[in-house]
Amino acid sequence: MNRRRLGFWAVLSAGLLAAGLGLAQTNAQPVKLRFVSLAWQTDAIKAVKEVVAEWNSRNPRVQVEYQQVDWGSIQDYLTTSFQAKNVPDVFHYESNPVMDFGNRGFLLDLAPLIPAEMKQDILPGAWKTVTDAKGAVYGIPFLVEPLVVLYNRKLFAEAKVPLPRADDVWTWEDLRRVAKALTKDTNNDGRPEVYGCAIPLRNAGNRILNLSVGFGGDYFARSGNSYSVKVGNEEKQLLSTILAMLYEDKSCTTEALTLGSAEVIPGFLAGKYAMMPGVGAFVRQQIVEKAPKDFQWGVLPPLKAKTQEQGSVSQTLSIPKDSRYPREAMQFIAFALNRANMAKLAAGDWLIPTRASSTKLPPFNTSANGWRTSVEAAKYLTFPLWQQVNGVSEFRSRVLNPKLQLLFANRLSLDDFAKQVEAEGNEIIKKFYP
Amino acid sequence: MNRAGPARPRARSGDGRAAVPWWLFLPSVVPILLFSVVPLLQGIYLGFTDYTLGAERARFVGLDNFARMLGDTAFWSSFRIGFIWTFSVTLGVLVLGMTLAMLLNAKLPFQGLARVLVLIPWAIPPVIKGLMWRMVYHPSAGFLNQWLLAAGLIEFPVNVLSDFTWALPAVIAVGIWTGLPQATVVFLAGLQSIPDELKEAAMLDGAGSWHVFRHVTLPLMTPVIVATAALELMWNFNAFGLVYVLTEGGPAGSTKLPMLLAYEEAFSFGNIAYASALGLALVVVVGVLVYFVVRNQYAGAGAGRAG
Amino acid sequence: MRLGHRLRHRLARFGMSLLLLAFIAFLAFPIVWLTSTAFKPAGEIGLQNPALLPRQPTLDNFRVAVEENGVLRSAYNTLKISVLSAVLTLLVALPAAYLLARRRSRMNQAVTVWILVSQTFPLILIIVPLFLILGRLGLVNTHAGLVLVYVVWSLPFVLWMLQGYVRGIPVQLEEAAAVDGASPLDILVRIILPLLLPGLIATGLYTFVNAWNEFFFALVMLKSPDLVTLQVSLARFRGIEGLARWGPLAAGSLIAIIPTLLVFAVMQRRLVSGVLAGGVKE
Repeated sequence: MNRRRLGFWAVLSAGLLAAGLGLAQTNAQPVKLRFVSLAWQTDAIKAVKEVVAEWNSRNPRVQVEYQQVDWGSIQDYLTTSFQAKNVPDVFHYESNPVMDFGNRGFLLDLAPLIPAEMKQDILPGAWKTVTDAKGAVYGIPFLVEPLVVLYNRKLFAEAKVPLPRADDVWTWEDLRRVAKALTKDTNNDGRPEVYGCAIPLRNAGNRILNLSVGFGGDYFARSGNSYSVKVGNEEKQLLSTILAMLYEDKSCTTEALTLGSAEVIPGFLAGKYAMMPGVGAFVRQQIVEKAPKDFQWGVLPPLKAKTQEQGSVSQTLSIPKDSRYPREAMQFIAFALNRANMAKLAAGDWLIPTRASSTKLPPFNTSANGWRTSVEAAKYLTFPLWQQVNGVSEFRSRVLNPKLQLLFANRLSLDDFAKQVEAEGNEIIKKFYP
Repeated sequence: MNRAGPARPRARSGDGRAAVPWWLFLPSVVPILLFSVVPLLQGIYLGFTDYTLGAERARFVGLDNFARMLGDTAFWSSFRIGFIWTFSVTLGVLVLGMTLAMLLNAKLPFQGLARVLVLIPWAIPPVIKGLMWRMVYHPSAGFLNQWLLAAGLIEFPVNVLSDFTWALPAVIAVGIWTGLPQATVVFLAGLQSIPDELKEAAMLDGAGSWHVFRHVTLPLMTPVIVATAALELMWNFNAFGLVYVLTEGGPAGSTKLPMLLAYEEAFSFGNIAYASALGLALVVVVGVLVYFVVRNQYAGAGAGRAG
Repeated sequence: MRLGHRLRHRLARFGMSLLLLAFIAFLAFPIVWLTSTAFKPAGEIGLQNPALLPRQPTLDNFRVAVEENGVLRSAYNTLKISVLSAVLTLLVALPAAYLLARRRSRMNQAVTVWILVSQTFPLILIIVPLFLILGRLGLVNTHAGLVLVYVVWSLPFVLWMLQGYVRGIPVQLEEAAAVDGASPLDILVRIILPLLLPGLIATGLYTFVNAWNEFFFALVMLKSPDLVTLQVSLARFRGIEGLARWGPLAAGSLIAIIPTLLVFAVMQRRLVSGVLAGGVKE
């Protein structure tokens, strides 16, 4: 009797568990593609939804299900999905990690599947970001992000600083000179009320690697089939310029050291910083959304070092090896990234489409909101050496980012920085080239 | 302890108390075995292999990963930071949580409202917590700097999260903020289980409120406090999500908690085996800690009963 | 002398009230900021000196949260999952907790330590094996699978706390009842349960909130758009480089917080009445 009544608990628990299991929903449909997108701004989401809806109405037998994942979770999401072999059929991500996933054997080589027209139209530099040494292509590049300089027109006018002419772009030395002229410390307390510039340097690794390209600073040297870390004069130039602006001229605010682009915007809109150099073109969207009506701003072309070149990563669409419908998935990608759709997606994200033909469509061919300058800037994007190096993500977060934090906080001299990054970096890179 | 026989005969355990059927344990143990222990054992096994993300197979390599760990300076420095973080947050949560629970139990005005308001950090979606605290600590637009400046406590804004001195304390403050509500609820429930008569009796004997706390409340609360302490230690040793959003372990690794290190190894670098080994090493450390806490509780409880 | 005593008492209570107020300010300040942000148009958010009150209050953020992102749907999903997780966990844990508390043996000690330590192993590392097991049972992409994960995940804490509360109940009460001929179940239901109610509520609340706030498993396990949970749908308002769509994020968070706070409020009442009920029975 007692035992039976006590057994009541077990039975009740089991019953509830079964009730829970009853919630399981099973989906069995012919061809269903799952598409993971990272678009997160209102216009971008709208563009993706439109593209998917159009595809679905045209292809009743291949239905695409749109799943939105955020940038902060995508790495964990994909890592888990690949290992558990429960993958989306098409996913949106960035060339650098995509190549890593490709090298680990999780992705389909798209090279044989790419339509000729698409191959022709997309910029060669963009293709390089997704092609490995053996010629395998692990993603279709569709967005690139040039780094530009945003500036405050009013502060420029007040300080009587002339803008660079189209045929005579600014060098980094010009930037330094101008930043000094724009810095104002009206009450002489040693803390300027207006800084010439704010460079968001939170996790600056990628940005520093890409901006160094213009100085001829690759951070890596190739010898035969392996690579080693190199921090020489070319690499030091950008760093010493930034350091001089931070600590010597005090024309660049140290506040921005741990801030991302977004967190610098309030100060920029409040007129505390006259320029934001080296920020991604997408930041313009935030300015348009947040700026007060009377706020006047503009976009300057990429700064010139030896050249105006910048390293670039691209955003991509890829297909996992474990996708059950690779052919249909590729057809969907071809549709989503056709001339008009790619333009739509790029405009929604305030980035530059990789198809040459798409950049001839609005808004890319207009001068409003810095579009034309940004599209022009994209022409200087090149495929940097660092992206070919295996183990670079470990190098970046283990060595480069922390050492940059020490360097920019003025806790490490530039020479020691160079020595330590080379020594500790090579320790890591060595593992990948036995 | 033997008492007179009950109306009906019943099986008895050694100390003369009614035997509690062992299978009461089953509903808990079965799901734990299947969905916790089994994956756990697989995870532990990985720690003894050379498995990396995407590798064809995992080769058994014995203690290689642990040997590597010994020479891994990042591991040892994260370990030190992990201890500071864990003990600071745990201590903060215990002391402040107990204080707050007693305030909430003191029949002050608006008690009901206060009891709900203090739980807000618990209700705030984790997704927004880290982003929000970054705003609070923002050097120019954040509340913290604005208040400190207005109060004249600092002359210039401090970029708290990138400051080598302040980053860890700032992160610990957020850790305490997050953990406080839960400990408070648990303590409050514990306080309410203490019969008022006991306290009143002590008061009638002329004991001061500190005396009542020290000799009536605290002993009765010991099991709950010890349990909370053990769990807080474990959780905090394991925590990394919030810190990741706040600082990503920076500046220059000064807030890199051990679990953050393991997380990066697994998800950023694909070194799954090494990450498992790191996890295992942490389990051993925490296991030892918890064992001491639990053993003391058993001893303490036994003594309490005997007395 | 007597007046002095009363004055001191009042001063002490005033001091305590102030201290409580400080605690509330520290813990509850985000609600003010969230509310203010949720009603601001995008142009007013993220300015250098944010105003407390929106200049042009708007409901747009709520519209975006609900329409574009289906926050209501995901809130309903999450509520269902959380309630089921909490109830199931308590049902499963209570017998075992009672056993742990009342039958002290070496084995129990070992089991307790194991349960606790198992919680220490990083979840991120067991997720793949767990995922594969759930996949074999057909539980991936179902709410049931997620409930299972949450129950297993919360069990150690709940077991541990519940056995602490059970231990706080004097054994003599049970023994007296046993003498009177009560069965173990009678003892559990009539004596333990009422006294345990505050503890049950506290731990149940814990499981509920745990499930309500969990993000990673929900993200990885649920693929269909109409199964998505609240946290996952809120995360979509996060962007790159620390950017976020603050307006809809704050609005969605408010929507997420309100039911939790209501549950808290109801529970608080029960917490008190539970104690009273226990007191009356004594």
